[in-house]
Amino acid sequence: MKKDLFPKQVLKLLKENGIEEDDIFAASATDMNTDCLYADGFAVLTLKSLAIVMSAPDDKEIRSFKGYMSKDSFVFPEDKEWTVKIYDLKSVERLKAEPQVACSVLTADVDGVTYRLSAFSNLYKREMHTLVRTFDKISMELKAAEKLEGKESFGKDVSGKPETEKPESSESKEERIQKLKVYGKDDDKKDEYCPTCGMMYPDKSRKVCPRCMDRGSIFRRVLGYFKPYKARIAVLFLCYILTSALNLVWPYLNGTVLYDKVLAKNNEFLAKFGIEDGKYITALLMVVLTMLMARVTLIVIGMIQGVIAARIVTGVVRDMKKSIFGNMGKLSISFFRSRQTGSLMTRVMSDADRVTGFFIDGCPYILINGLTIIVSLCFMFSIKWQMTLMVLVVMPFIMLIGLKLRPKIWTQFGHRHRAERAVNSQVNDNLTGARVVKAFGQENRETTRFEKNNLRLRDAEMSIVGTQNLVRGSYSGIFEILNISVWLIGVYLIMVTHEIELGIMITFVGYIGQLQGPINFFSRVFHWWSDSMNSAQRMFEIIDSVPEIQEAENPIELENPEGKIELKNVSFGYEVNRPVLKELDLTIKEGSMLGIVGRSGAGKTTLVNLISRMYDPQEGEILIDGKNIKDLSFKSLRRNVAMVSQETYIFMGTVEENIAYANPEASHADVIRAAKLASAHEFIMRMPDGYDTRIGSSGRELSGGEKQRISIARAILSNPKILILDEATASVDTETERDIQKSISYLIKGRTTISIAHRLSTLKDADYLMVIDNGKITERGTHKELEALKGTYFKLMELQRKALALKGIE
Amino acid sequence: MANFGGFRGGRPGGPGKPFGEEEFNLEQMEKETEEMLKMRFLDKKNAEFKATGGGFVSLKVGDEEYARVQVVRMFPFTDPDHYISIRTSDENSKEIGIIKDLKDVSKETAELLISQMNLRYFTPVITKIINIKDEYGYAYFDVVTDRGQCRFTINMGGSSVVHLTETRILISDVDENRFEIPDVMKLSAGERKKLDLFL
Repeated sequence: MKKDLFPKQVLKLLKENGIEEDDIFAASATDMNTDCLYADGFAVLTLKSLAIVMSAPDDKEIRSFKGYMSKDSFVFPEDKEWTVKIYDLKSVERLKAEPQVACSVLTADVDGVTYRLSAFSNLYKREMHTLVRTFDKISMELKAAEKLEGKESFGKDVSGKPETEKPESSESKEERIQKLKVYGKDDDKKDEYCPTCGMMYPDKSRKVCPRCMDRGSIFRRVLGYFKPYKARIAVLFLCYILTSALNLVWPYLNGTVLYDKVLAKNNEFLAKFGIEDGKYITALLMVVLTMLMARVTLIVIGMIQGVIAARIVTGVVRDMKKSIFGNMGKLSISFFRSRQTGSLMTRVMSDADRVTGFFIDGCPYILINGLTIIVSLCFMFSIKWQMTLMVLVVMPFIMLIGLKLRPKIWTQFGHRHRAERAVNSQVNDNLTGARVVKAFGQENRETTRFEKNNLRLRDAEMSIVGTQNLVRGSYSGIFEILNISVWLIGVYLIMVTHEIELGIMITFVGYIGQLQGPINFFSRVFHWWSDSMNSAQRMFEIIDSVPEIQEAENPIELENPEGKIELKNVSFGYEVNRPVLKELDLTIKEGSMLGIVGRSGAGKTTLVNLISRMYDPQEGEILIDGKNIKDLSFKSLRRNVAMVSQETYIFMGTVEENIAYANPEASHADVIRAAKLASAHEFIMRMPDGYDTRIGSSGRELSGGEKQRISIARAILSNPKILILDEATASVDTETERDIQKSISYLIKGRTTISIAHRLSTLKDADYLMVIDNGKITERGTHKELEALKGTYFKLMELQRKALALKGIE
Repeated sequence: MANFGGFRGGRPGGPGKPFGEEEFNLEQMEKETEEMLKMRFLDKKNAEFKATGGGFVSLKVGDEEYARVQVVRMFPFTDPDHYISIRTSDENSKEIGIIKDLKDVSKETAELLISQMNLRYFTPVITKIINIKDEYGYAYFDVVTDRGQCRFTINMGGSSVVHLTETRILISDVDENRFEIPDVMKLSAGERKKLDLFL
């Protein structure tokens, strides 16, 4: 909870109950009472007490969640009633934010009983977590101090951790405790509110306020991509203008000139062009020739226009994709892991096309079509204002149809898109799962399921066609009515009042035809524009995303590291209140091998992900050779730490390219040596094209074990000082594993190795083993020590031995 | 591959025996499997649920006593009143027993358990849609729920809107707060139109 947002009347209330604002160490808002009814509230932690302030539930109040949440959300009416409950910190044995399915409950153990203190929606998950963590730290310090006062020994702190440097540090207890204060600190750094409108960002990691996003600035930014093509764009515009000018002249040529001047044998007109009186055929030929020229010019301009536009579009799209892809590579793993951004990625690439499409086919025409409408109307007015009035009466109707019916089509397009996706994903599902479908004899059910989706797609398609027909029908209907009424008026003016001639009439109708396209265009351009701005925004979001894990400003280069790894008090969780690793302390000596054992989900992979800095720990630090890995340059970290993970990935390319991925300069001999060490050489040589065999998504399929061996070879070739093997041999058979085992024994010489394995036999070379359970190290020591401990490791060993006995191997 | 969790109870052989002395015992394995598959059903005869002072539920079943238990639905969407798992309240919670049907326990107990589950499955039910606006990858909802008016934001990409059935919809906002529409057809045509994008 930010200090400047904390409501004054609540502070006053706390003061009346003996809590000064300066005493507050951490505070969080809550939005539900213990019965899960929406109410306003606050949890406040001081060194002495925990206060829960709640208002009475009120369902008249509007609840604002992220996206609607603003700084004003913490402004309450003066007369709002609050109740305060204060718990003495000494009596609170444990404080916990217990996650439920879609909310959390704050519970406390007081005198052996667990109490519900408050409940809160996920909106406050993060700040409540901070409060609970602060509580843990305070109570740990206080208990440690108590212990110290009780006994004189200073050997261990409460967590039973081996002696750390704490006693040596010159910090006094008070200073250490004061450091735990969160309230009023780091407020600016974690600004979650948009500075313009004060709304909370919907997603904190993407500091984009959709409300304040200014379409104009997005537009200008997209324009920036067109800058390098200035000259071509100028030519393009010239083409556009020429085209519309010729289009405007056409009805005049076709109507007034042809009918009223030439065919009406107007000698005056002929004289203007230097043609002798009576040479009507020559004049006619001239007119036809001019008309022909105009048409040919239009076609040629159209062709030039097409070529230039295509060049600009492809260029701009390429530039955009380049910057998207370039930034994508820099982003941290967490960005791709997150559900929202994952789906964002797939859309973004097609967004570039959409944005550019609008800028080439949409933008210029706003101007051109606007001008066309105005100029045409002017011409029409100058010809006959009475007829033009008719047009002006009808035009709003046309616009109305567009504005009314088009949104319907767009939703229908959305429906069709989703139906299409459902059909496609089912086909995909069934293709990949064909074996399961067949094995369980469920072909008929799948066909029925498919039919259902298929029918939905048909219906969606039908309704689109229906609406489109309606739009088209009413459009042309109205235009027909317009045409007929203009003809009627025209004929009246020609035959009865003799005000105009036939040519003028034809010119006029020509202009009406000219209007049709631009009017149509304007009825859809607004949607098009907002759609393309949405696309542009998504694109810029990726381009602007700042990677969570950043290189230090003046990174340290690791030259010939020794490979000593230390973890100090490391805590980490992918979600705030679900810690995966809890206060880990660990030292791995240079050149030694550490084996990690633990249940799946115990946090083993997370631990090695932290060491290779895929993620940063939330608390504590990781040191390599005594240097914090956050200070190391990415280059030296990646060069010195290599990981063979359980998810093997084979890139599109040859076997050799895949092995030499980290070191493309490697010689053939190096690649072969690495492959041999990884027991991959033999199977590679059995493939038809040897090391040149194309593998990856478009190439030859490899088995799980083969992929794993290729990635081991990849790690070997990168020759790291620190090697991490995360279930590296999980999917190879026992025999191959034995071979790889030999290579690993060779490989670990002179390196620090961390190996995670389910099969304990894989860890037989480890100098040191540890068992991780529930994010904590539960057992550690050498193989012998753990065996003697008769704990988890021992049980696991026994169990695997038995399993082997069952297979008759041992 | 050995399952680490399987021996947390310390069943096989017990840690006391030294290496290699124990033969592989098929009978014991069968027994363990049977134990694994066994479902203990709780009802008003064998289980006693009580509200704790702290707002939770305690359980006494046979000689076992639990100061606090968790009440978890096995089929929260499709069958909320049957197959309710009663679990220990620690982090690695384990099943104590199953209530096959809420009718198997007394009415008071059922109410007590339901109140616990209401907390666990807290999901406001949307009764009225005031407005939905979608812009820049987010959709902004302004709705009335059974717990008052709520304004929340969802992500347009991904799976923020899940169709539990043809007409039942579960919506998760950017923080994964849940909202539910039990029957879309009960909304007015105008409201459904606002929701059209997600149907």
